[in-house]
Amino acid sequence: MNKNIILIILFITLLGSGASWVINKANLSHKIPVIGDVPEFSFMNQNGDPFTNKNFENKITVLDFIFTTCPGPCPTMTYNMTNLYHDFDAVTEVQFVSITVDPETDNIDVLKEYAEVNGVNDERWSFLYSDINSIKELKRDGFMLYSDELPQGHAIKFILIDQNGSIRKYFDGTDEASIAILRKDITSLVKTIRS
Amino acid sequence: MLLMNLFRTFAYLSTGMTYLLIFIGGLVRVSGAGMGCPDWPKCFGRWIPPTNINQLPDYIDPSKFNIVLAWIEYSNRLFGALVGVTITLTMIFMFKYYRSIDRIKYAVVLAFFLTLFEGWLGAVLVQTVLNPVTITLHLFFALIIVMLLIYATQEAYYIDNPDSEKNSMYPKAMGKYFTFLAIILLVEVILGTEIRGGLEMIRKENPIVDSKFLLRMLGPFKYMHTFLGLLITVISSFLWYQLVKKSSSPSWIVVQSSTVILFLILVQIISGEILVFLKVIPLIQLFHLWIASWILGLVSVQYSAWKNSQTFNE
Repeated sequence: MNKNIILIILFITLLGSGASWVINKANLSHKIPVIGDVPEFSFMNQNGDPFTNKNFENKITVLDFIFTTCPGPCPTMTYNMTNLYHDFDAVTEVQFVSITVDPETDNIDVLKEYAEVNGVNDERWSFLYSDINSIKELKRDGFMLYSDELPQGHAIKFILIDQNGSIRKYFDGTDEASIAILRKDITSLVKTIRS
Repeated sequence: MLLMNLFRTFAYLSTGMTYLLIFIGGLVRVSGAGMGCPDWPKCFGRWIPPTNINQLPDYIDPSKFNIVLAWIEYSNRLFGALVGVTITLTMIFMFKYYRSIDRIKYAVVLAFFLTLFEGWLGAVLVQTVLNPVTITLHLFFALIIVMLLIYATQEAYYIDNPDSEKNSMYPKAMGKYFTFLAIILLVEVILGTEIRGGLEMIRKENPIVDSKFLLRMLGPFKYMHTFLGLLITVISSFLWYQLVKKSSSPSWIVVQSSTVILFLILVQIISGEILVFLKVIPLIQLFHLWIASWILGLVSVQYSAWKNSQTFNE
């Protein structure tokens, strides 16, 4: 009888340590790589204010490339971004940036309206425009994304940028499961700022 | 009978393995590995999860790749498949030895179909990116399966050992208490998963708030969980009193199961309070859930023993 109890305790201890090891491994596995720095740029936002790479400092940024008249994946991307924008509304360290790849159509007025339509009423989400060549250059050389055939070939990635202006990770902005991981990664980066 | 027949051997094996599977499933949950493999049944398009990000197929976003989480999730699937095979063999041996005993036959066949259903639910979980209701159902049916297996195992034992409850005399008309306790226990587990799910929902809206504060925001669910916990304590104590103190020569299995249930409830109260008042520790969450499944199994054991004694004394 006593032998059985010892066996049970031994088994539970083994199981517990095993589980503890796995949980610990899982926690450590959420490391977010540093891919590279965003180069210098200076664009304008929907309110006519300049937005440069300096605006990434001390913020966790989620950035994407869209155009307002896009029929394809952009509405899904903007919908997903809107959800993140609302989920993190109490977290001042998090900001969102959407850069248009069709600045000819998407002038300041169009972007301002697009922001309003999507319920953006504060500084946390900036819609940026510039001349097409600067946008192409930033996208291709800065973010290493395909930049021919704009605006159609605009990439569906959400890019996670940290408080030092470093690119940390790319996510599929149309995929719910990817967004779920992005949400966790944003949270853990915010915690590193706060700690 | 000197040797157990193959059905009984496999029934014990299935029960033990299903318990282990519930533990592994809980581990997937607390380590956040539910989406470790974004596809189903394969993992990143492979039967053996990839070891390198370059092995990912084009149609899967590389940001989802985490080798640790992939293997945690995949272990659950592999072990689940193994349990499926074991339960299938159990069913085959059941048809060999106990096909004429309806209660054993229906319990095992139902367990078999529910196991298939569990596999399908696993696929739905991945498709819906861990829909909270589906997570709860996935656990709920695992508990039902394990109870069916315990029931079938014990009934087969009594057929081979008909004298087990020969001398015991328990109070009559207790069936309703067992049923009531089992139902409340299942509701309690569901409430518990709702607390977990609720925590995650609130965390989504308040991403960087501490879990302890989030628990306070949960409100009524938490109080219901505590209230039902008290009710379970009262009923189990009552059953213990009836089966151990008010009975004449209760069998070893009844005394043991009744006593262990009370001990485990004590463990549940302590671990539950730690989770609420001190810290939400994943390992304790995991055992809190797992022990709940043991209590359910032991109530099933109590019931079968009591029932067997009743038919004996009729």
